[in-house]
Formats: sequence, C-alpha cells, structure tokens
Amino acid sequence: MGPVPRTLELFYDVLSPYSWLGFEILCRYQNIWNINLQLRPSFLGGIIKDSENKPPALVPRKGQYMANDIKLLRQHVQVPIQFPKDFFSVVLEKGSLSAMRFLTAVNLEHPEMLQNVSRELWMRIWSRAAEKAGMSAEQAQGLLEKSSTSKVKNQLKETTEAACRYGAFGLPITVAHVDGQTHMMFGSDRMELLAYLLGEKWMGPVPQAVNARL
Amino acid sequence: MGPVPRTLELFYDVLSPYSWLGFEILCRYQNIWNINLQLRPSFLGGIIKDSGSLSAMRFLTAVNLEHPEMLQNVSRELWMRIWSRDEDITQPQSILAAAEKAGMSAEQAQGLLEKSSTSKVKNQLKETTEAACRYGAFGLPITVAHVDGQTHMMFGSDRMELLAYLLGEKWMGPVPQAVNARL
Repeated sequence: MGPVPRTLELFYDVLSPYSWLGFEILCRYQNIWNINLQLRPSFLGGIIKDSENKPPALVPRKGQYMANDIKLLRQHVQVPIQFPKDFFSVVLEKGSLSAMRFLTAVNLEHPEMLQNVSRELWMRIWSRAAEKAGMSAEQAQGLLEKSSTSKVKNQLKETTEAACRYGAFGLPITVAHVDGQTHMMFGSDRMELLAYLLGEKWMGPVPQAVNARL
Repeated sequence: MGPVPRTLELFYDVLSPYSWLGFEILCRYQNIWNINLQLRPSFLGGIIKDSGSLSAMRFLTAVNLEHPEMLQNVSRELWMRIWSRDEDITQPQSILAAAEKAGMSAEQAQGLLEKSSTSKVKNQLKETTEAACRYGAFGLPITVAHVDGQTHMMFGSDRMELLAYLLGEKWMGPVPQAVNARL
C-alpha cells in the first residue's frame, strides 16, 4: 500500500466562476495525484461579509476584467463557462444561499452525487449548456425540502466559518494538509503552486490521465 | 529570419510584491519565448488610492528614459530593498543605494535622481500609469500581450501559464531551464 493520500479541502460556491475552474482542475487531478479531495460547499456571501471584503464585480474595472479573463480561461481550462446575460441580477441580487444549502443537503445525504450536482448548478448559472446531474425528481425534491432544515442551514454556516478560520476573504480556497502543515490558497490559479507543495507534477489545467491512479 | 516577436508590456510598481514575481518570470522567459518584453514602470497609487512608491517609480521612469538597459537591474534592486531586506525605498539615499547596487555610478544615479523631479519624467510616469488604466488595470502588475492583432490584458503574476497558451509557447513553470534560449 502506498503513502497516505494528502487531504485537499476545496471550499466553493456555485456563484463563483473561479470556483468552477478550480473544481474542474482538482477533479481532473483527483485520480492522478495522491490526494483525497474533500469538497466543502460554502457560502461566499458569508465570507465576503466576515472578511469585510467587497465582491470584485462591484469594482467596475474588476467586473470588466473578469468578463475577459473568464473568456480566456474557458479555452485554456476547457470548461464551457460563460458570463450570464443578466449578471447583476443572477450574481448580486439572487445570490446563492438556496443553491449552497441544497448542495450541503446533498453532501449530507448523497455525498457521491456532490460533484455532479455542483457541476450542474454551475452549468445553469455559468454556461448555456445544462445537463442533468442524474438525480431523480423525487430525490431532488426531498433534498430541496431538507435544505431549509436547521441541520442543513447550520452545516453550511459551519463550513463557511471553517473557511473564514482558514483565512478566506473570498472563494474558492484550497486547503492542503501536507507533512503536518496546512496551506490555504486562494483562487483557481494556484494549482501549479499546489502541485509544488505536494511534490506532484503539474501538467496544466487539462492533464492527460494516462497514468491515473486506480 | 523567424517570425516577428510578440510585444509584451509589463506595467509594474516596486511597491507590489506580485509585480516582482511577474517581472522575474517574464525576465526568465524573455530569451526563451519569441517575445519583445517592454517594461513599463507605473505608479500603483495612480490606479488605486495609495502612495509610498512615487519617488522610486519616478526614478525608474528616468532610468527608462536615459539608460533603459539598466531598468531591469535597478528595478530588481528596489524590490530587493523593500520586499527582501525590508529596507526603505522612499528616501533619496535609499534609491541611490539601489541604483549603485545595480551597477550605476554615484554620479549617474545622482543625475537621474535630479531628473526624476522634472516635469518630463513626472509626465512620463503619469502617461504610463494612464496607459495601464486605459488597458483596464485596477491594480498591478498587468501584462499586456499583443498577439495576432489582438490585445490581452492579464492581471497578476499567476497568469503566465495562460499567457504561454495565448502565445502558443511552452510553459515550463516559474523557473525554466534556459537550455534552448534564443540568441
């Protein structure tokens, strides 16, 4: 038996396009690197408030930059990510509390579905192409109901607070536990650095999984 | 003769540690990739409300006008002061020390320090900073790549792999082995 896999925690919110990019990259590497990828659905609104930060889109040039940056990263990272037409309404008015509570419920009841359902939610917000996550209507309805229980609300709150304790001021953050040390990295553009910390090989955002671990 | 090198403009301020990282990475790649690296000393305080580096960036603007071949070395020495040895970069003697460490004579450095407060140099810094703003900068560093008639502005020192992708060049991490460096 090989060395113990290193735990990586990915704290994310589907409202965050960079969270989607970080998520897809880590999903690609989860069977290539010796890691244990733990997904942590979190609430970006709570983190921004707690850290007294400001959503980047509220700075006009940052919003403009994000639109261009996402266009380039779409090709480079090969994720069908597209700025929603009504960005302001979707991101800044509607927000993501229900969605992240839903994912928290999924994580509690059907963790094996979390990756697919997360991806589906990103597809809805950040892509024109939406696919089905493979959940039955009843399953989805049941989880939707569970989303408003205190158990689920509290779980999302705790996960979000854990991100804050790690020092988050936004999302995504990746927390790597390596050789008894904890490293928190912000953004989807720290994966090469993460590889360096893990002593693993960085093969760009779209690795060929020829030697995937079984 | 090969294809025309692509122009990359790096707008930076020594007050910005990520500017230093981006600078070093691009310096390493300047003889590996088919690029023409243009350094653009800018003033971060003109982009966000801040201060601290005005004299240093005016000095670098003067260096760029009079001795552009010294710009990389002097920039690096200023970063070494503030972001490696935790030394001052606001006082005239600090700036002169950095210039001399970079290989400039005391007279040369003094001359450039005096030129730093002329309207020519002040205006040049202002123009460069405004150019960064027109490119959409909200901070520094920004790298502006001119590729196939298109202009791409990238913020931060962590967009170099994406830059390589846009240039159709090979990304070999932040510390490439320059075995096949272009001559």
